[in-house]
Amino acid sequence: MTFHQFAYRNVIRNFRIYAAFFMASFFSVFVFFIYSMIMFHPEIDEGYLGNVPIGGLVFAEIILVVFSWFFIFYSMKAFLEARAKEFAILLHLGMEKRQLSRLIFLETTLIGTLSIACGILFGYAFTKFFFMIVREILMLDQLPLYFKWEPFVLTAAVYFSAFVIISIISINFSPERKIIDLLKWYHFVNINDHFSKKRAILAVILLAIGYVLALLTNRVNFYPFVVLIPILITIGTYFFFTDSTSYFVHYMKERKSFSWKKSRMLSIAEQTLIMKNNGKMFFVVTMVSAAAFLCVGLLAALSSYTSKYDQLNPLGLIYKGHIDNPYERAHIRSILNELELKGLSYHLTRFEVKKQTSSYTNYEVEVFRESDINSLLFSYGYPMVRLDSGEGMFIPYSEEAIKKLSKRTVHTVLKENNVPISINQVYPELIFPSSIVSPNAIIISDEDFLRLKKPYSGYPHVEPGYHLFAFDIPQWLEAQDVGLSIYKEVQKEYEKERYGLPFYFENAGLNYSFVLSTYALFTLVGLLVAAVFLLAAGSFIYFKIHTNLDSEKRKFDVLKRMGIADSEIKRLVTTQLFPQFFLPWGVAMVHSLFAFLALQNILKDIANISIVKEIIFAFSFIILLQVIYFYLIRWRYIAHVKN
Amino acid sequence: MAILQVIDVTKVYEGKVTNRALNQLSFEVEKGEFLAVMGPSGSGKTTLLNLISTIDKPTSGEIIFNGTKPHLFNKTELAYFRRRELGFIFQDFNLLPMLTVEENIVLPLTLDNQPVSLMEERVNTLAEKLGLMGVLTKRPDELSGGQAQRVAIARALIHEPAIILADEPTGNLDSHNSREVLELLSKINKERNATIIMVTHDPIAASFCDRVLFIKDGEYFNEIYRDDRRQTFFQRILNVLSLLGGRVGDLSSIRLP
Repeated sequence: MTFHQFAYRNVIRNFRIYAAFFMASFFSVFVFFIYSMIMFHPEIDEGYLGNVPIGGLVFAEIILVVFSWFFIFYSMKAFLEARAKEFAILLHLGMEKRQLSRLIFLETTLIGTLSIACGILFGYAFTKFFFMIVREILMLDQLPLYFKWEPFVLTAAVYFSAFVIISIISINFSPERKIIDLLKWYHFVNINDHFSKKRAILAVILLAIGYVLALLTNRVNFYPFVVLIPILITIGTYFFFTDSTSYFVHYMKERKSFSWKKSRMLSIAEQTLIMKNNGKMFFVVTMVSAAAFLCVGLLAALSSYTSKYDQLNPLGLIYKGHIDNPYERAHIRSILNELELKGLSYHLTRFEVKKQTSSYTNYEVEVFRESDINSLLFSYGYPMVRLDSGEGMFIPYSEEAIKKLSKRTVHTVLKENNVPISINQVYPELIFPSSIVSPNAIIISDEDFLRLKKPYSGYPHVEPGYHLFAFDIPQWLEAQDVGLSIYKEVQKEYEKERYGLPFYFENAGLNYSFVLSTYALFTLVGLLVAAVFLLAAGSFIYFKIHTNLDSEKRKFDVLKRMGIADSEIKRLVTTQLFPQFFLPWGVAMVHSLFAFLALQNILKDIANISIVKEIIFAFSFIILLQVIYFYLIRWRYIAHVKN
Repeated sequence: MAILQVIDVTKVYEGKVTNRALNQLSFEVEKGEFLAVMGPSGSGKTTLLNLISTIDKPTSGEIIFNGTKPHLFNKTELAYFRRRELGFIFQDFNLLPMLTVEENIVLPLTLDNQPVSLMEERVNTLAEKLGLMGVLTKRPDELSGGQAQRVAIARALIHEPAIILADEPTGNLDSHNSREVLELLSKINKERNATIIMVTHDPIAASFCDRVLFIKDGEYFNEIYRDDRRQTFFQRILNVLSLLGGRVGDLSSIRLP
């Protein structure tokens, strides 16, 4: 048997031991390869695939690489730890340290090569399937499978170098231990339960401040907060896991009447060890899972936004201008020309909107004419409005407003012209997107509208009203290039401090394409990151448990002899595993919950969309996965320590 | 009155190679007796101890414990039986590394859900007697071998079990610590009238006992009782061991070819 054969047989005959490490590496390679296949796709045109910039994907791949290096390094360390006794026997038999390093190196490269080969093979097999999903998300006509050497070489090179470098690092930087210590399980367990009370309390304070700030986030303080909060939370989480948890366990231990009860003493003592030894890992898992949760939650929120987009923006094109807007004729003509040229059918409604002062609130209201509105409603296919003189109707600015306004009755007088109106209903659908109409917009009958002769009292300092050109286009998605020059002017003006143009233009199709491409990018990147992060977070815990399994078994042997019943073993294992499974995830969940609350504040301002339902759905799904994983591990664990 | 009766116990391990570890072994242990079980490696000492500890069941025969038959209990009842009636002392101490000394000692009582006041009272009494007062808050890895074994003895005593089972308690100790532990065990045996069954290889350890039971290849071989002087008792133990070691026929001078 040569040395190479020894290494080879070690791996092949003990594949069960290597399986966890192999699977972890295999999955990283698998995901990386699939995404590389997209990066090198021949359909990519000037850095864009459909509407999605490939740059975002490259960025995600870089994160993935950094993370998977760290991940492989960690699993490698755990793996070597688990085999310490085997190495001790080899060293005992007279193997040189240098030879041992070579053995580990050979084994790692063997597993590495295997996992790269399998990862690429399975990756290529699943690429077509993945492309089909991507094609649906990006709404591309086709995304054929292709064969180029780049993705293969990139994946193989990245991971092969990872395995080589990481195996060298972990061999040379692992702490030197005596053979005698490696052979004895007893000395294995490194007990160190020091913690600093100050840092324990500091952690809680930092987290509390971070959470409060997250609740106070709005559009004004968004930028400073978005930098400050993650820093606070990161430091807070770190100290939370290194000190606060130990402090808490210590506190419980001190209360003997609480802790000296049945197997509780064992579980609590066990937590001291787990929290202290794994604090740093729990920190990493927490931050990583919080990022993954955020990705999943954002995806859910974005998908609900896109699915509602149609409802929120019922109009294809909207042109809004001052009453004396000099460009009005030219702009409308050019838009109409473009629409004709494209052969798109449309229905144009021209509104003349007047501002008046309401006696009820003493603020301005925007007044629409019944027949104008009906013309648009006719084109929508919505029910018409019938108003008598003196009656009014609210125009809702959001879906929530429909509910809120439906219960309200307002008796008001339009002050400038002394027209009394009683408003007691709301139109049950959104007519305009919220960016166009003010929250105080009403419809009145044609007779009353004609009586509004005197302009708004703020005139000439404030515009007395505006003209609105609403284009209802059934195939609004295809109109995304219409009015591009006007759109660009508007965009340019937006970057200035004051909006000075006498007109405003909105193209729902174009906006939608932006939203869609952002959504698609987020989906692609988010899925990738979330999948890898969630897997990694689970595997970290799995490796840690796997490493300690032998000494655990020993411990349970002693306990069984001393008279511990099977049901108590189960309970003990549950209480022992529960915190390490759910504490990092629980903290991550609270972190992301507050992140979403902050996000909700901002999104409410922007898009008026509530993401609660989606978040709850996404979270329950994640919790379900974790519970299944927990029971799986618990089952294996109990089976292992019982026999 | 016999506290433990081992009646015709046979244990066969079925596997790729069937192995008869114990064969029709019978003996009795009186209350307050300090019994040593000796025999060469593979004679079935550990199997016997496992059967008495109830973590293994005999293939045939009975072990009767103060009138009860533990092998008829279900698993949970057995666990409760062990935690109340048996105390264990191991060769490598088997203290749980994550618990402090104090917690290790009270473990049998906490498992049995006794009140904290009782636990503290007993820990203090025992710690004083065994000279462990100074190390109660330490962890097992900070103790010397002798201290660790004394902690293990305290753990085996705290719930006042009917029988204490010791598996090579001096196997990992130097001569000084061995002596200390053995004297402690015989003191406990006399003062508390505790029943102790000790499995050992070491004739010196065995010479501290009231009676030594020898087994060979899973069968009863011989037993000798203590006399007034430990020296002569030790010598007699050695004599039996020398008989045990070789084939019996080798030393017989009467046999003719």
